[in-house]
Amino acid sequence: MNPSDRRTFLKGTSANLALPMLESTRAALGATHEKDPASEPKRLVCVGVYLGFYQKDFFPAKTGHHYDISPVLEPIEGYREEMTIFSGLDHRGRHGHEGWRAWMSGRATGSVSMDQLVADHVGDQTRFASMQLTCGSPPGDAKLSFTKEGVALPMIGRPSVLYETLFRSGSDKARMEYLLKTNRSVLDGLSEETRALERTVTSKDREKLGEYFASVRDVEKKLQKQQLWLDRPTPKVDYPLPEFDPVAPDVALECESIMYDLMALALTTDSTRVLTFLIPGWSQVFTINNRKLSAGYHSLSHHGNEVAKIAEYNMVGREHVKRLGGFLDKLKANKDADDRPLLDTTTVLYGSGMGDANTHDNSNLPTLLVGGGLRHGQHHQIDRGAASPRLLGDLYLTLMQQFGVQSEQFAGATSNMNEYLL
Amino acid sequence: MFNNSKNHRRISAVVDEATSPVPGDSWPRPLPFASVFVFSLLITAPLCSAQTIPADTIRFLNRYCADCHTGDEPEGEVRFDLQPIQWERAESVDLWQRVYDVVSQQEMPPRDAEQPATADRKQMVDWLHSQLTEHAKPGGTTIRRLNREEYENSIRDLFDMPEFKAPDAFPADDSQYGFDNIGEGLVLSPPLMAQYLELATLVADSILPPDNGPEVANPQLYRIGATWLAESAWTTVEGDRFRISSSKKDNAHTAGWPIRFSAPKSGIYRLTIDASSLQTDKMFYARQDQPFRLSIYAKQKTEQTYDWFDRLRHLADFDVQTDQEPPQKFTCEIELIKGEAFGLRWSNGPVHSNGFHRERLKQDRRLHAAMLGIGKDPRGMSQQQYYQETLDLLKGELDLENPRLDEELVGILFGGIAHKNGPKLMVDWFVHEEVRRYGPALDITDVSIEGPLRLIEDDEMRTRKARTAKFLGERAAGATDREYAEHVLRRFLPRAFRRSVGDEQVQVYVDLAMREIESSNARIEDGLHVAVRRALVSPNFLYRSPRPGRLDDFDLASRLSYFLTSSPPDDQLFELAALGKLSNAEIRKSQTLRLLSSDRSSNFVKSFTGQWLGTRRLHDIMPDPRLFFYYQQHRDSMTSEVEMLFEEILKENHSLDTFLDPGFSYRHKSLNKIYGDELDGNEMQRVEFQRGGRHGGILGLSAVMMATANGVDTHPVQRGVWLLENVFGTPTPEPPDNVPAIAPDTTGTTTMRSLVEKHRADQSCAHCHDKIDPLGMVLENFDPVGRWRDNYPIYVQPNDGEALKEEFYANTGKGTKPGPPIDSVGVLIDGTRLNDVTDLKRYLVENIDIFSRCLTGKLLVYATGRPLNFGDRRVIDKIVGDVKDQENGFRDLIVAIVQSEAFAVK
Repeated sequence: MNPSDRRTFLKGTSANLALPMLESTRAALGATHEKDPASEPKRLVCVGVYLGFYQKDFFPAKTGHHYDISPVLEPIEGYREEMTIFSGLDHRGRHGHEGWRAWMSGRATGSVSMDQLVADHVGDQTRFASMQLTCGSPPGDAKLSFTKEGVALPMIGRPSVLYETLFRSGSDKARMEYLLKTNRSVLDGLSEETRALERTVTSKDREKLGEYFASVRDVEKKLQKQQLWLDRPTPKVDYPLPEFDPVAPDVALECESIMYDLMALALTTDSTRVLTFLIPGWSQVFTINNRKLSAGYHSLSHHGNEVAKIAEYNMVGREHVKRLGGFLDKLKANKDADDRPLLDTTTVLYGSGMGDANTHDNSNLPTLLVGGGLRHGQHHQIDRGAASPRLLGDLYLTLMQQFGVQSEQFAGATSNMNEYLL
Repeated sequence: MFNNSKNHRRISAVVDEATSPVPGDSWPRPLPFASVFVFSLLITAPLCSAQTIPADTIRFLNRYCADCHTGDEPEGEVRFDLQPIQWERAESVDLWQRVYDVVSQQEMPPRDAEQPATADRKQMVDWLHSQLTEHAKPGGTTIRRLNREEYENSIRDLFDMPEFKAPDAFPADDSQYGFDNIGEGLVLSPPLMAQYLELATLVADSILPPDNGPEVANPQLYRIGATWLAESAWTTVEGDRFRISSSKKDNAHTAGWPIRFSAPKSGIYRLTIDASSLQTDKMFYARQDQPFRLSIYAKQKTEQTYDWFDRLRHLADFDVQTDQEPPQKFTCEIELIKGEAFGLRWSNGPVHSNGFHRERLKQDRRLHAAMLGIGKDPRGMSQQQYYQETLDLLKGELDLENPRLDEELVGILFGGIAHKNGPKLMVDWFVHEEVRRYGPALDITDVSIEGPLRLIEDDEMRTRKARTAKFLGERAAGATDREYAEHVLRRFLPRAFRRSVGDEQVQVYVDLAMREIESSNARIEDGLHVAVRRALVSPNFLYRSPRPGRLDDFDLASRLSYFLTSSPPDDQLFELAALGKLSNAEIRKSQTLRLLSSDRSSNFVKSFTGQWLGTRRLHDIMPDPRLFFYYQQHRDSMTSEVEMLFEEILKENHSLDTFLDPGFSYRHKSLNKIYGDELDGNEMQRVEFQRGGRHGGILGLSAVMMATANGVDTHPVQRGVWLLENVFGTPTPEPPDNVPAIAPDTTGTTTMRSLVEKHRADQSCAHCHDKIDPLGMVLENFDPVGRWRDNYPIYVQPNDGEALKEEFYANTGKGTKPGPPIDSVGVLIDGTRLNDVTDLKRYLVENIDIFSRCLTGKLLVYATGRPLNFGDRRVIDKIVGDVKDQENGFRDLIVAIVQSEAFAVK
């Protein structure tokens, strides 16, 4: 907080302790609303694959328009005119599994992620400002979305829970209503409770109490919003959810497919416009095309540059990309309110916070952009040796600006990559 | 201009004049400008108090400050007026302390204004220093929100819920002045408030569960089959059957569990399994006649877990007979808790441990020779390939004289075992493939489960019921809802708010509960549910120390209890507070000793050392594997060493110099490579050694050396800053923003000393770095994991594109080669020359007050949750002196702190 806010606050304390001090948060982040509805993409989907890809078989060998599709990306070759591949981008951050946390935030130590900045702008128009998804319970360091406070957002890992959240039946509505109503009365009386306190505290303490009441007020607002949405019926969909959630690691690919299906439904029903999806990996041994792989997924990712292991690692990678393809097909087939294919107004960022899983190297991250009305069709190889090399954060700046977030910098990146995409 | 400390700090670094504020004394730490007050101050006329304010000072203020800080709209709302200084006003002290900070740190006058001469500035600073030392009183804690740990402990104690844990997504607490329990730093944000409200609901639900009516069993039949079992390393799906071929002890390796079933409710289920034994003529192992035992365990969830069977609930055993071919059907009733799955294990098979593989190779020279003959790295091969290749070699000529056959076999590396510095032998692959094909193995051919046949009350429900009963207490005969609610809340609220609660406040909560009961025609539990939620988001629960001035008994109880146990006052402390006994210094002492000897003091040990000595940082550091191959075990042992050393000094009341040169430590065999010990066994061990050596004490702890480096290289500046802040107690200001850090030259062409000596070239840098760098150089003998070294390492790079293989790991010593020798000579600001860390230790032991003052200051900051001010200086001097007059014991020091004036005021 800057000192001028504090001054205003202190001058106002005699009138009211509960000043809305955090209203300027948005301005502090350098972000303001500025919308051009015609050209603006409406939805953002970010998908991160925890154990990454084999770089040499993910990135095409050639650049520009006429690249030959790479073995791992082959399942989505049909989208080449609607997608852009970037090689050579990363955050210049630290390496290791823990470095994964930086994928969407640019910083391994916990900092706001790009999707949350976007959700700040478009989130108030839908039931869920944003949703964070995964398959089962991912490893502890697999985190993707972070709040402004640097807190990792919890992810939904069970399809049934996601389904219930999106298309909830009436059963727990009564309970939610009860909690909303009573929580409002829980919060209502707090100010009278501390009236006695206010007289005795020092000015620094008043500042702290101001912080407290601002937070209470913010939560009250959130409760009001939840009440509004609770009063509106949830969309009705017809989706054959399996009887049991495939959350065991052996069937993680099945879970991935269902999650993608539900994500497409969430976008089609306009339940949310910002989705992040973390595709985890453990040591499970996959069976692909009726062939049981020779080692666990995690150990394949540490392939030691052995040809046979790389081939199997790529098989898993292709399975992921194939499922991405299925998701894109649905976005292509479904129309938004203006009868445009959803894919035209949905930007899909696909990649990994892991560059080379074999050595836990978090540079040269696999990066793919699809849809969203951007100028596509090429493989851009970013020169990592350039005098002022481009960062993945530069790409995020372009994406965020497309959503109207007027940020000029993000995690050390300061120049957007509009010249590649607009 | 007064309120932007950051900008001015930048300025201070480029000011030409280098003035040391008061020689050897930049204590207390400069205050950041957390808030700014508007009020008037005196520049007194020489006539009325010429003795207090020298003419020089007034001249200084007039010449350098008056332009901006007078008139109706003074800069930064700081105005100097011709009024007498009212030292009794806290605001006066606060403001003059700020003036002291900005003038002594050369943040004022601003860079673009006229600068005072060194002597003038010194005179001003000296005057301020003496005035503040005389007039400032200890105190000034901003109300403290409970930090995460304190919050968790408070909920646990309040509701008797030892298992309570805030979710991972709970926002982290910010640290200030080195600790995460400082009032100013503990911010409350909307997401945190939302979490508090959510957790309040969770806790209230647990104590006062909603009435969902009676639950019905509604049993279902779940056909699981054999192929819908999760596979692990030693299990396989063979056609339509599930094969278990090992009896290792963890389920991640040897169990199957259903992929598509977990108990929908806690209850009794009927489990039916078809199983058979597999033993063929081609089997390597002798045929077994005794039945194969199939053991069933309760597994917490369907997702991947890494449990040992002996820690799981054992549900049933089936004996699969070995004399019959067709699968045998087994059925039994098992008890499952909601959400649980069941794990299947073969508990008496021949393949049961890693030692078993080692034995197999020792016994079977031909197999050993064949595996050596494969001659290439097994990575990249499949299990089947490896098996086949071994078989092929077994058919041919084998070199049974290979000397490697007599070498010792060592550790287990990702499944295989290895020769010392030699090839990895995937004997487990071979054995697994062998038993998978030919047995012995246990086959599951069908699984189904039906239920719940009837519901059970699980432990969780029982615990909940007991908690509810305890929370509510007995309802007096004929008591109305209102009377009952009041009875409950009268007991609950004082413990929640950690002090006595007046009638009026109790009635507010009773009214809240009654409104809910009356408006919704609800149960008393539902009314109290709302009241409990309110209490848990109330500032009276979330914050402590709100009342200014001297702490009353209740606030003292909280301060003492959170200081030494990170928990709210227990029954005894609360009662003493209620009786008004804690103001008595002797009772405070006996309570301090009681808390220190309780198990809960480990919270203090962990939290304080984790921050003071930086062990919390170890989670964020991953040493370069070429330097040291680092596991969780290393981190845990390093952290334990710090905590156990600290704990012994505390509990045995060792003298304060023990921190620096103890002659003993607690170590683990995993740290042998660091300390050169030859320890064995799995426990931490107390080791004794000669005093005065390299390792030992906080200046030679692996954890501290690691926390003050980055895992790859060391940096004298980082360690120097750490020493000044945490051992000498004379922290330096933040570095200017626009100066890049020195990057160590890892190729070895430039020495570290010549790199840091660049600091001296620039006078503005030299002002601080003269203190920092020579100190930091003294610790250069410790590498980034705290190992002693005489040379800098040069990292060996693997060839481009090649994977980092084991040979580059530090275990082999091939990851680095020796570079330039370490130059660890340092000269302290007082001219003392130190050759290496042993000299530094000796210096500090001889001048123990330096360290005692520093540690006392740290403890006082941690205990009171505020930065130190000039008033605390007197307090610390007295504490340090008094304790030294006794035996200079550490526990005595803590007692003296608790009894001090600074501890007893807000």
